[in-house]
Amino acid sequence: MIKAYILILTYVGNLKAVLEEMRKLSNIESIAVVAGDYDIIVKASVNSLEELMELTDKIHAIKGVKRTNTQVIEKEIET
Amino acid sequence: MRIRKKSLFYLLAILSSLIAAGVTSIDTYISIKYKINPWTLCLAIFIAGMIITLLLCIFLSIPIGKKAIGTRIDPSFYRIRLLRKEELPYHILAGIGNAVATIAYFFIISIYKDPSATISFFQVVILYLLLTESIAEKNAPTLAEVESSVIVTFGAIMASFSLQGEINFLGLLIVFAILNPAWVLFSIYQRRLKLMKINGRHNDAINIRFWNLLFTTLFTSLLVYFIDAKRFFEVAVVMKYWQIFFLSMGVTFFSYILYIRALGLGKASVTQAVKSSTIIFSIPFSILLSKFVHISLYESPQQLVIKTMGIILVVMGVISFALTEVKAYIFMKASTGYSIDELMRKIWKIKGITSVATVAGKYDIIAKARIRTLGKGYERIIRELEGIKGIERFEWQSILKEWEEV
Repeated sequence: MIKAYILILTYVGNLKAVLEEMRKLSNIESIAVVAGDYDIIVKASVNSLEELMELTDKIHAIKGVKRTNTQVIEKEIET
Repeated sequence: MRIRKKSLFYLLAILSSLIAAGVTSIDTYISIKYKINPWTLCLAIFIAGMIITLLLCIFLSIPIGKKAIGTRIDPSFYRIRLLRKEELPYHILAGIGNAVATIAYFFIISIYKDPSATISFFQVVILYLLLTESIAEKNAPTLAEVESSVIVTFGAIMASFSLQGEINFLGLLIVFAILNPAWVLFSIYQRRLKLMKINGRHNDAINIRFWNLLFTTLFTSLLVYFIDAKRFFEVAVVMKYWQIFFLSMGVTFFSYILYIRALGLGKASVTQAVKSSTIIFSIPFSILLSKFVHISLYESPQQLVIKTMGIILVVMGVISFALTEVKAYIFMKASTGYSIDELMRKIWKIKGITSVATVAGKYDIIAKARIRTLGKGYERIIRELEGIKGIERFEWQSILKEWEEV
């Protein structure tokens, strides 16, 4: 199992539409709207890097997404 | 299903309270209508509960398509299964907790004519849980949580207090020294069981409930036998009312499934506080019940005023819990020459951090924080991060809204 954070920047005025499309995608553990340098932070959970590429491709294809930045998780501690 | 985790938590806890209020009415009906000795009733209900729970678990294990029916009430459920070795100590402790709390409750009922005033102090268990969490768990309560808990606790006491009920030192001692600590043991270990991973997935509430009831019935049988052996053997006689016992424990099963699922999503203290809303839901059930048996909805206008004020406090406290929560992601860049593993461990030790991950990309570490106020985020997290050598810089991203896969 490969997990990754995908940090997303959207064009102004497109956040709601991007979120709606994003919520339809599979292999996603959580979607957070944030206030900071990014607009949306997605936590993805996929079986292979190939699947991760497919997911980021789908995110890129959403109208209103300006830029993405993928951070693959190497090790994680959580409650 | 991807929804807001917070919404699901409150939905589960409130639905559990609603069902629990229905069960309370059935139990009140049983005790008024059949006049069974409290010890016999306690054991008979557990034994009937064991049978109906086993039947329900078998039914919920039937697959429809690829998934068992039970996945509709807990997506982590696969089928009823044997106990894992690692679960055993937790189940024993939760079982002892539940059995001792039940026995303490029935002991109070058996010695007082009207124990409602004494029993209302059971609500203080919320504060016990808060205290236990602040000692035993990483996520210590914030001032806002303490405030909300005190509001709910006092509100719940006022809403369930009886002005005519008996109140004395022995009764209060049992509630404060036996009933409440036993319930804490039960809640804390049920929560730990829910958070446990079995075959890579979260433990399911259905199996937890089944095994907990088995251990509780076992320990309760032993306790009742030693307290009053005569009452122990009377169980066989009162089992003629098995239909109503099955109804009570069958409905209780669903209340507990939702409660255990809520425990897996939120703190035990907050879950218990939200569950205090049972008092509010019991009003329509009491009105319904008064059509079948003789019960008075309130003792005096004074008590009604106190009850109403208590209910308002419970509602306000629960709303305040729901509204005071801040979550954030913290992106960190580490300086060269420092072990990332060591940094991860130092960050994990900070109170309020719920996950920490080393990542490959623009940043080195991404942590997630959950606090009650932004001020706490500064005091508890940012000041601590600044004190860790090896963190070159960090960026705080406050979460405004979040949907999670549950």
